[in-house]
This record gives sequence, structure tokens and C-alpha cells, in this order.
Amino acid sequence: MYDLIIFIVMLALGYGFGRYAESRHYRTIIKREKQLNSIPAIASKIPPFRRQDLNSQLVAGNVVISVDFFKRFIAGLRNIFGGRITSYETLLDRARREAILRMKEEAKKLNAELIFNIKLETSSIYKGRGNSIGSVEVLAYGTALFPH
Amino acid sequence: MEYSNPELPEGINISKENPLKEFIILTVGLLALVFVVISILIVVVDNFADKIPFEMEKELPVSSFIENMEVEKLPPYLDKVSQKILASFDLPEKMKITFHYVNEDTVNAFATLGGHIVLYRGLLEKLKYEDELAMVVAHEIAHIKYRHPILSVSHGIVVGVVLTAISSSTGNSIVNDMVGQTGMASLMRFSRDYEYQADKDAISSLIKIYGHADGALGLFDVFNSEFGDDLSFEFLTTHPLTENRISQTTKMIEHYNLSPGRDMVIIPSEFKAWLKTQKENAEVNE
Repeated sequence: MYDLIIFIVMLALGYGFGRYAESRHYRTIIKREKQLNSIPAIASKIPPFRRQDLNSQLVAGNVVISVDFFKRFIAGLRNIFGGRITSYETLLDRARREAILRMKEEAKKLNAELIFNIKLETSSIYKGRGNSIGSVEVLAYGTALFPH
Repeated sequence: MEYSNPELPEGINISKENPLKEFIILTVGLLALVFVVISILIVVVDNFADKIPFEMEKELPVSSFIENMEVEKLPPYLDKVSQKILASFDLPEKMKITFHYVNEDTVNAFATLGGHIVLYRGLLEKLKYEDELAMVVAHEIAHIKYRHPILSVSHGIVVGVVLTAISSSTGNSIVNDMVGQTGMASLMRFSRDYEYQADKDAISSLIKIYGHADGALGLFDVFNSEFGDDLSFEFLTTHPLTENRISQTTKMIEHYNLSPGRDMVIIPSEFKAWLKTQKENAEVNE
């Protein structure tokens, strides 16, 4: 009985706070992406141009986002029925974009013109009870080119 | 080669659908699936469990746990009443019932595999009338008559197998908890049906012996004052809510056209005194 009440409360809290945090996060992501659009981040291993007036340096951005109770629950149900785990799709989308943004913010401090050879790494850093994924880490890194 | 850096369209990775919709579809689907699978399996298993001979129950390891409890033989008064009730049941000859008494505060009585019925001092102390005692004993005898212990054990195994199968495939503890609860809820539905069935037979037995069924109502009153304050939904319990048991009893009383409020037989003061000394002994031993 009390288990059931606690469970419903946890789901409601997870849903409420999760949705709020997600929409707020997306708003800042979109805003910052526009601001930092002037620094392209490209995957190519070789810089697209060779100029003597540029230095290069490693830049990185890292983020850890926790999965809320509601998302985790839906993903668990998807383990049985299969299909898109939409609740994790948005989570990873946010984490990836946030990591790139933090990397670009680093680059901006250097006054960089471009980041090339960017790489992304994803890992689940916490295995909760029953091996359920608790939070996800995304690391983005690349080489920034900036004037002397 | 020209390089451009356009803004990517928003929402590539975001489903337009509200997650609540997905949640409801998946949850209801899973619950229904678990419930239906378990219910079907239980009906199938019931057909087999019924066929297990009663004598074989004694061989099952589960029934040996009675011997490990500190059970005692019934005192003469309890034995007299129990035998009187037992006689009214006309059980098949092979269905031997053994009564036990346990000197503990637990307010309970139960019937288990092998035809064992256990009465706790805690419950006996709460009773005022022989009719109420008769209701307890008759209810437990009815469980054995319908082979409820072996059926419940079989159900437990079925649910265990289904839950293990599901939980090993999800690996998600939250979902496993929910599936487990649903499994238990579908088990309890059968358990509650058994309680109603046992109540019904017990009431018939009371009517046969005492000419009325007030003992049942008296016993439920005891339950109400003992457990009445618990907040609970019926679908989460093994036993029906006392008020529902009362309403079934009242219906039966109406059906047999019995007038309520007949005289009930008071439990002799000697037996009450005996219970008191038992309680004192138990406290000394602690």
C-alpha cells in the first residue's frame, strides 16, 4: 500500500522535475548554440586550411546528466516491449549538445576560429540498483585553432 | 570547397509525443500481460494441483515446518469444540485434520499443507463466545476441505516462475518491483476468493450446529477492532476487507431467513483462566 503511494509520488516527481529541467535545458542549449555558431566544430582530422598565424590547442567539454525516475521507468518497460527509448534519446541529445557547447565555450576563451578533429565519448557512470543506468556522461574534445 | 555551418533543425532526436501517453500504454500493457498470463497459468495449474492426493501433502517438505514450530495439542475444551465442528463437515475419510495450539500473542489461525490447523493464543484471547471460536475453526477446516493450501502453494510457484522469467529479461529494478506487485495482486485475488469460499462453508457449519450465524459477525467485529484502522485497498491484500466479509455473511443470514441477535454460547471461564496462565507462562519464559 505505502509502497504504491511512494512509487506514484516518485513517478510524479520524476515526471514533473524531469520535464521542467529538460525544457529549461533545451532553451539554454538553443540560445547558446546560436551564440557559439560562429565557431564551427568539424570532425575532419586535418584542418581545412593551413595558416601560419594560427596556434592549436586541445579543448574539451564534459557533462554528466542524471536520468530521472520516470525516464528510467519507461526505459525499463521498453526493455520488455522493444521500440525507441524516446526518454533516453532526449537525454543523450541534451548531453551531447551540452558537452559540445562547453567545449566551444573553452574555445571561445581562446578566441578560436575553428575546432577540428572533434570526438565524442559517452559512458554510463553509475550502475544503480539492479544495474539500471543512473546517469550518463558525455565528453567532447577537439583541437581549437586560434590566432597568435 | 566551401564550408557552411548552418543551424541544425531542432527536434531530430525528440519525439513529439507526450511521454505520459507512452507511459500509460506500456504500463497498462505490461500489467495486463502479467495479470492475464498468471491467471491463465493458475487456472491450468489448479486442474493438476487438485489431483495431488491429500496423503501426499504430508510428504511435502513444507508441511514439516509445523513440526518445527512450538505447537502443542489442543486443551480439552478447544478439542471438544473443534471435533464438534469437524464432525459437521463430513470430510472424506482420508482427509485427516490435526489441530495444534501455539502459546504466542499472534492474533491469527491458519490451515496448511497436510491438514494441519494452527490456533494461536493471541486470537483465542480475543474471543468471547464459543460461536466465534467455532467460526475460526470452521473457516480453517473449510480451507482444507477445498485443498486451498496446496492450491496456494502451486499458485506461488507459478507466479514465482513468471516473475523470474520477466525480471531476468528486464534487469530494471523499478519495473521488476512493479511486475512483482502485479503478480502478487493477481495471486491475492485467488486468495480472497478462497477466503469467501471458506467463510461460506464455515457459516453453513455454524448454522448447522447453532441454528444461527452470529458467531461469524462476532468474529468479524473482533477483526474490526483488532485490525480495523489499517488503511488498505482490497486488491493489495490476501484477505477480503472485513466489511466485505460481513456483508457476505449478512446476505447469507438473510438468505436463510435467520433472525440475528440469538444467544451465543459464552466461552467457559475455566478456559479463559487457562489462557491467562498460558500468557503468564509465556511471559515468564521470555
